[in-house]
Amino acid sequence: MYKRTRFYDFTYYNFIGSWAWILHRLSGLALIFYLSLHIWVINSLTYGEKTFNEVMTFLSSPLFKLLEVGLWGVILFHAFNGARIVIVDFFKGSLAHKKLFVALIAAAFVLWALGSFLLLRHAF
Amino acid sequence: MAKIDIHVNILRYQPDSDEKPHWQEFAISVDDDSTILDVLNEIHWKHDGTLAYRRSCRSSICGSCAMKVNGRNVLACETPIHRFGRKFKIEPLSGFQIIKDLVVDLDPFFEKLKRIKPFLIVDKPLPDKEFVQTPEQLEQIGESTLCILCAACSAACPSSWPNSEYLGPAALLKAYRFVFDSRDDCADDRLEIVNDKNGVWRCHTIFNCMEACPKKIKITEYLSRLKLKVVENSL
Repeated sequence: MYKRTRFYDFTYYNFIGSWAWILHRLSGLALIFYLSLHIWVINSLTYGEKTFNEVMTFLSSPLFKLLEVGLWGVILFHAFNGARIVIVDFFKGSLAHKKLFVALIAAAFVLWALGSFLLLRHAF
Repeated sequence: MAKIDIHVNILRYQPDSDEKPHWQEFAISVDDDSTILDVLNEIHWKHDGTLAYRRSCRSSICGSCAMKVNGRNVLACETPIHRFGRKFKIEPLSGFQIIKDLVVDLDPFFEKLKRIKPFLIVDKPLPDKEFVQTPEQLEQIGESTLCILCAACSAACPSSWPNSEYLGPAALLKAYRFVFDSRDDCADDRLEIVNDKNGVWRCHTIFNCMEACPKKIKITEYLSRLKLKVVENSL
């Protein structure tokens, strides 16, 4: 008998449900990475005011403003899709899971656009 | 009924001569209203007699011919080729070991099914005649009894692929079918079996099982109900 590699299994066609699952996992990993980075940045306070201010100046560059906009998107996706999963599992939402996904992601997108505008208003 | 020329890529594996599976293309002419199974029969009967695949009833009730066509699980006997155009590829089900060509080892699948005790267990005194169920009681389990154990759902589940211990949607659906059966008296045992990290909680509501089910059973919906029942039972 032949056991195929896991890569073979993941060549399966992705429906909305599996895209939501893949993106949820990836956004979760991105948030863990961000939180670690956040703690590391706050840690610079222990080296005194000067170091902290230097780090904050570095993080105020346009590149980091853009990354913040991305982070806001990742947070919104993870939160809204998380809400969808709870609705699916505990509030009888499984038969409407595709509509739920579209509706919640549309709401998240509106919030993302609004937040991005506020974040970038003074950046450039 | 007109003849059309099609190109079919099949993942072949002959255990006696092949180190690992490889693709083989067949260019054949078939009727335009053929099913995937008709195509496999055509190849097996007229082009290459060594092609191995399972089939039996050819009317989507025996559950033998589940396979992956263009990346999604279908029953070969009920799926017309026009869904995939003139060029498509056929593979064995994911997540199972290949015995030969499109035939996979389904032993682990049926072992998991046995674990949830897939039969009616009655402790109360038997009625004189038959068990009586209200239409509502039947409605609750009606659709879940339609499962033909083709394994298309379990083979489509991304939670199953990396974890051979996960019970999988088919076994969990069968658990639902008996837990919610008004005649059955063994719900507590079954709920204890599925209340496990490799039981119902490994279901991440990806919905691949529901998309793959040839009987259109709302598997994820029933698994969600099973989750709620496990929670209710633990309180």
